[in-house]
Amino acid sequence: MIQFQQVTKRYPGGLDALKGLSMDIQPGELVFLAGHSGAGKSTLLKLIAGIEKPTSGTVLVNGQNLARASRGSLPYVRRHFGLIFQDHKILFDRPVYDNVKLPLDIIGFDGREVKRRVLAALDKVGLSGKEKLNPIALSGGEQQRLCIARAVVHRPSILLADEPTANLDRDYAHDILELFKSFHQVGVTLVISAHDETLMADYGRRILRLKNGQFTA
Amino acid sequence: MKHWFRLHGLALSRTLGALLRHPVATLLHLAVIGLVASLPLGLYLLLTSVGGVAAKMPVEPQLTVFLKPEADVGALRAQLAKDARLAQTRFVPKDDALKAMESAIGSGDLLAGLAENPLPDAFVLTARRDVPAAELTRLEQNLLTDPGVDTVQLDSAWAARLEKAIALGRHALQVVVLLLAVALVLVTGNAIRMQILTRREEIEVAKLIGATDSFIRRPFHYSAAIQGVLGGLAGCGIAAGAIAWLNPAVGELAAAYGQPFLLALPGPVELAVVCATTMLLCLLGAWFAVWRHLRRYR
Ligand SMILES: Nc1ncnc2c1ncn2[C@@H]1O[C@H](COP(=O)(O)OP(=O)(O)OP(=O)(O)O)[C@@H](O)[C@H]1O
Ligand SMILES: [Mg+2]
Repeated sequence: MIQFQQVTKRYPGGLDALKGLSMDIQPGELVFLAGHSGAGKSTLLKLIAGIEKPTSGTVLVNGQNLARASRGSLPYVRRHFGLIFQDHKILFDRPVYDNVKLPLDIIGFDGREVKRRVLAALDKVGLSGKEKLNPIALSGGEQQRLCIARAVVHRPSILLADEPTANLDRDYAHDILELFKSFHQVGVTLVISAHDETLMADYGRRILRLKNGQFTA
Repeated sequence: MKHWFRLHGLALSRTLGALLRHPVATLLHLAVIGLVASLPLGLYLLLTSVGGVAAKMPVEPQLTVFLKPEADVGALRAQLAKDARLAQTRFVPKDDALKAMESAIGSGDLLAGLAENPLPDAFVLTARRDVPAAELTRLEQNLLTDPGVDTVQLDSAWAARLEKAIALGRHALQVVVLLLAVALVLVTGNAIRMQILTRREEIEVAKLIGATDSFIRRPFHYSAAIQGVLGGLAGCGIAAGAIAWLNPAVGELAAAYGQPFLLALPGPVELAVVCATTMLLCLLGAWFAVWRHLRRYR
């Protein structure tokens, strides 16, 4: 489903963030992405979502090369993804409900369906009853849950989560990972990054380990 | 189709919400558009009002042709009778002129002490009303080439001057419209740029999770179009207010010249043209501002 062939990413004026990576992620797979700070985890996820283009090599998602997608078609490809950003990108100028609603507005769902889906997503992540709050009133963990609700509300087939357990205590982090596992169980393909590998060990899933832009065993 | 209406309805309601949420900024921008639009509109109304009254005025341009004593009156009269530009030709012999002068002054003894009548013979020519000022000047030049003609006095020079002033006003209006149109595009572009900056994060997230360029653009275009139309209405209101305020004084001045005259208020056609123009110019500014911002996203 997600294929990397000799992918190198060099940021302008910088070193190579990723060096000749090749990998293959199957549909419905749950894969962890581990590595130190600066190893290239965020870069790899951005390449999958077509937010960044590879400097060389190809990235294929469902057989499609996003680097070649036109400006007009890219938005529609992006809607297959649910993205959880490392810096959250929560909009603090509107309540929780409107944050979760944004992907549905973009796609153009009708009003009743929007309400049903937003409330279902908030319920799923355990934020029921907080839809009218401003996100600033949420705890760090709750903000993370808000991000997850926004990422899954349009039922994407691929979920990319960049360090969703950062700054959370162990128990809370496990709760979040359990949540992701439930999406995995309904067939969503997931790639979850974290720098703390011990968390992932409990799940017995494939772990891609990055070090200075390269996979290690 | 339903989907399309939903996307547009959503953008429209969000835009109206945003405009109402920042009433001061919205009103200030409407005032700027209104002031910018009212200036050329006012100028246009002034020109059409004055032009209209000038066209209606009973200007029958008159030329007085003073003759030299040796002039061949018969030949000149025959020549003038053939001239299509003239409506009427009247010969005033110097004795008649003297009598008219005497009766005007109220003394029957003007010539006391003079050997003979010093006044020249003259033709008083009335040109047809549709003869343009330039043609009258040419007629004057023609007459002066006649050896029997001493001087020609064109009595309608003021009408020509008014005509020229109105023509100048029309050119000035074109320049003003052009400059203010550019100003309106820039001002709106900048206002939309500020709106974009306050919503930068929303735009970034939306782009990342699959918003099309038109989804981003739509609310800003609506915002500009709505403000353009409302600003145009404000401009018409400002112009109408200013004219209503000036009109009593204008009427008094005109009455002093024996002409009933008032400046025209903007009518439905002017209203429509002004609103459509401000809307298009504001849209152009918004389009440019959004285009510049969207360029940075892949
Ligand atoms: N936009 C950018 N421009 C230039 N260099 C960048 C950019 N983004 C990342 N880099 C560089 O690329 C390398 C990999 O960064 P990346 O964000 O992918 O690491 P990461 O594994 O996500 O780290 P962290 O755990 O701190 O989030 C780093 O050296 C970083 O400085
Ligand atoms: Mg990162």
